[in-house]
Amino acid sequence: MAQAHGIEAEGLVRTFKGGIRAVDGIDLRVEPGEIYGFLGPNGAGKSTTVHMLTTLLPPTSGTARVAGFDIVKEGPKVRTAIGAALQEAALDSLLTGREHLNLQCALHGIPRSERRARSQELLERVGLTLAADRKVGGYSGGMKRRLDLALALAHRPTILFLDEPTTGLDVQSRSALWGEVARLAREDGVTVFLTTQYLEEADALADRVGIIDHGHIVAEGTPAQLKAQIGRPTVEATPADGATPEAIARILERFGEPTGGSAKGVAVRLEHGVSDLAGIVRALDSEGIKLENLALHAPSLDDVFLAKTGRSLEGAEEEEAEVEA
Amino acid sequence: MISRPKGRFRWASKWFDRSAPTATRARPARPDAGTASGAFWSVAFAVAWRVLHNVFTTPSLFLPGMIFPLFFFTAFAGGLSRVDNIPGFDFPNGYTAFQFVFVLLQSAAFGGVFTGFGIARDFEYGFARRLLLAAPRRSGIVAGYALAAAGRWAVTATILTIVALAVGMQVGGGGVDLVALYALALIVNLAGTLWASGIAMRLRTVQAGPIMQLPVFLTLFFAPVYVPLALLNGWLHSVASVNPATSLLEAGWRGLRSAERAAL
Repeated sequence: MAQAHGIEAEGLVRTFKGGIRAVDGIDLRVEPGEIYGFLGPNGAGKSTTVHMLTTLLPPTSGTARVAGFDIVKEGPKVRTAIGAALQEAALDSLLTGREHLNLQCALHGIPRSERRARSQELLERVGLTLAADRKVGGYSGGMKRRLDLALALAHRPTILFLDEPTTGLDVQSRSALWGEVARLAREDGVTVFLTTQYLEEADALADRVGIIDHGHIVAEGTPAQLKAQIGRPTVEATPADGATPEAIARILERFGEPTGGSAKGVAVRLEHGVSDLAGIVRALDSEGIKLENLALHAPSLDDVFLAKTGRSLEGAEEEEAEVEA
Repeated sequence: MISRPKGRFRWASKWFDRSAPTATRARPARPDAGTASGAFWSVAFAVAWRVLHNVFTTPSLFLPGMIFPLFFFTAFAGGLSRVDNIPGFDFPNGYTAFQFVFVLLQSAAFGGVFTGFGIARDFEYGFARRLLLAAPRRSGIVAGYALAAAGRWAVTATILTIVALAVGMQVGGGGVDLVALYALALIVNLAGTLWASGIAMRLRTVQAGPIMQLPVFLTLFFAPVYVPLALLNGWLHSVASVNPATSLLEAGWRGLRSAERAAL
């Protein structure tokens, strides 16, 4: 069942003490039933945006409607319509998983007669039936995330906010969570607003992606559209023992502009696309340069981020970490 | 129409049981979504249940709130029982009853303060965020904490009363006086809860504990706690005379005082 309203924001701003504008005039529109990926490094303003849209923080200026309700004037109605699993699973270590679900159902006013069945249904859904009566203080990170997701679904929300839901999870747990989020949107028609700093997460899950940096949305579109804006692939050559990176760089620069590669490799964005590859191989061979590896990379969301902000997402992470330190 | 990956993560979804009922389908859930009072009370009772559940199943949370009033009562009423004999001590029902009123009101006030500690802990560890996100009516959260504080204190007050009666406390007042005494203590408990809740919600850290506790502690102990106001001298008498806690204690003492002996 598709609901009539998604998320709309216009000129959303949040300023903190000291004049820091964590979110600086965001406009966005998320269609009902869509998975919207909000991608950006730490400190870009992702969580602040989610906190405003979920009524945890009032905006300094701007307006937003979630599920058709104004986030400032109609907070109670917004909270009734949404579910949220925020960055750190807010769980009480003294309660069991089942008690958490009963509590969540009670907070949402689900009648006592339905709570037990609803809790059991959600425990089965996230695979926590065996651990249901254990205190969550003893749960693993993945179990806590799954419980957090179940709690967010307790009252059958039409819009789900997931703030970096897979941060700190192992690959298997992450994939399982992705699968469940995709299923929620596909089968249940839930609108999902997902923030992430993982490119592959946004790429795999999101119907549309908004890239945020320093409080601004710098790019928005489907992953395919965004990558198409970059258009050209990159090629990265890693020298074998004895070959110098400078010599490789000299040859590669004939085929495109240099771009960020790995520590050992030399990379360029190809001027004419994949068709340049044969010429590169011939040129390297004619100079007698031996390579350990030659790799062709299709454009990624990191390339999009690089093109829009002038730095890579990983580099931005480190930069933010240094600023915070 | 939005295209969506199909079967893409099936290999890894060992935890999420796809055979489980899929009644999660998006639809309005709250049967009482339209009734503000329904939302308020469901939130309040849920919050109160959680606090009381945690307090009564975790000895480290329950025992301090229980032991301190009993300790104060036995220490003061027992150790200072000869105060009963000093000239000017005019409380007709004896020193045990005199001390009982103070300890009852003190336990009520600190019951509220301990609840404030819990709120601060909830903010610091993030659980308050869950409550703020889930509660359509946020005023219900404060009401829930207040209900929990009252419930927690009710247990303390019951045990304190049983102990006091067991050690021979004389109760002189009538039924209405006694009800008034416990109602007064409940109001003190509510005041303590609201005071500590305000601090906790403003500062959102357990480090705010002393700010919640110290003013209540000072207010109570600058009142005529050990002897009646008339027996205090100097600056302490001056402070106690204007201290609102003195009026609370005097009102409480009236609840236990024998009318006949008081008239004397």
